[in-house]
Amino acid sequence: MDIGFVRRVIFTSIGRKFVMAVTGLALGAFILVHLAGNLLLLKGEAAYDGYVALLLANPLILYAELGLAGLFLLHIATAAWVRWEDWRNAPSGYEERKWQGGRTVGSATMLYTAAVMLAFLVYHIIDFRFGDHSVGFYRMVTDAFRDPVFVSFYVAGALALVLHLSHGMQSSFQTLGLSHPKYTPFIKFGGLLFALAMTGFAMISVYFLLELDHKKVEHHYQVAATEAR
Amino acid sequence: MSDKKFGVTVRAWRQAGPGEKGRMESYKVEGVDPDMSFLEMLDVLNEDLVKRGQSPIAFDSDCREGICGCCGLVVNGDVHGPDEHSTVCQLHMRRFRDGDVITVEPWRVKSFPVLRDLVVDRSSLERIMAAGGYVSVNTGAAPDANSIPVDKDDAEEAMDAAACIGCGACVAACPNGAAMLFTGAKISQLALLPQGKPEKAKRALAMVEAMDAEGFGNCTNEYECEAVCPKEVKVANIARMNREFLLANFLSKR
Repeated sequence: MDIGFVRRVIFTSIGRKFVMAVTGLALGAFILVHLAGNLLLLKGEAAYDGYVALLLANPLILYAELGLAGLFLLHIATAAWVRWEDWRNAPSGYEERKWQGGRTVGSATMLYTAAVMLAFLVYHIIDFRFGDHSVGFYRMVTDAFRDPVFVSFYVAGALALVLHLSHGMQSSFQTLGLSHPKYTPFIKFGGLLFALAMTGFAMISVYFLLELDHKKVEHHYQVAATEAR
Repeated sequence: MSDKKFGVTVRAWRQAGPGEKGRMESYKVEGVDPDMSFLEMLDVLNEDLVKRGQSPIAFDSDCREGICGCCGLVVNGDVHGPDEHSTVCQLHMRRFRDGDVITVEPWRVKSFPVLRDLVVDRSSLERIMAAGGYVSVNTGAAPDANSIPVDKDDAEEAMDAAACIGCGACVAACPNGAAMLFTGAKISQLALLPQGKPEKAKRALAMVEAMDAEGFGNCTNEYECEAVCPKEVKVANIARMNREFLLANFLSKR
């Protein structure tokens, strides 16, 4: 049994980047489903709590959570290894250095946005995953969204995600070797759209902070009252 | 022409030998003609230094036509100088004004140790080539036209990759000190052509492992390399290297 190919995945530059790209894309798929779930908050308590109940009723939910944790850990570990090597090997000591136009705000800040998201993730897991669920999931989330301090932290996390994915999505395809003169422009554009969609997280939290959900209910009452007359 | 001549101050990196401590030193250069190349301006400065009994500033150059890959300086923070997609030997003094202070530095890359002043040792790139950047069998003299059909687009792409002159600007400009544009170009120029195809899996694995062993950084797809490459080698070559390496790792028998 030859495990040379596994050794290459772990111990070569492209092997590690491959793991980083695949786990990154998988986490991207997860975050999209997560956003879709959060959109149910706008539909109301019954819809959101029903979705949570459906998820929790799945007998494989624990394994899915463990798998997700594994994806995060692999992504973080390979990225840390790649960046550690880069930090050691980066050209250094230039008296003057001008960037030549290849870098983007997203690409140059990958490490910082990663740090913000990691801090957010740890807090998010402690607060929501292992938090007090007794008031119901919808109430737990929306109560948090009415706290300006929490929402600022949440919006910062979402914006870090937008910046991270603005580089990360197209970068994953390049790392996997999926580059093609016909499709690469679409991949880059699609990656940016995907990243921008992540502002949805921030918008939902601000929606509840501004209590727009109450206004929506009032509006419904008024419509109902007018119709009744 | 003489009325156009002007003076500049050159701040150059001086380092006596490998591993020695270096420092920036300033020199005044008078009588600079706008039609001089940047390297000719350094020649003038060096002649002056020799006349005054000082050691000239060592720098690499050979063809001075932008095709050999010998020269390579960071001028005012720009790899190969301020002109886009050009080697520093093609930079001319008309890009500067009287009284300018010009900072001149070598490639500051771990895998390119400074030999002296502005000269760096780029043999790490040669060792990547030695690991597989060739075709092992003698393919003979030029065959009859059309005896080996090559798609025109493939031929063009292989030629674009083969334009790499191995100057190392991609590494010098990379935020991570990665040599993936170089290695990608060298893997691509052979992987695209029929003569290179039989060994492409073996080549991709060997050259990437050799590149890693030289202590270059890992590419994070920031594309600074493509922006400075004097031969406009595209980062699609890095993607091709990634693809060839991953296919070789997962699908070949190696």
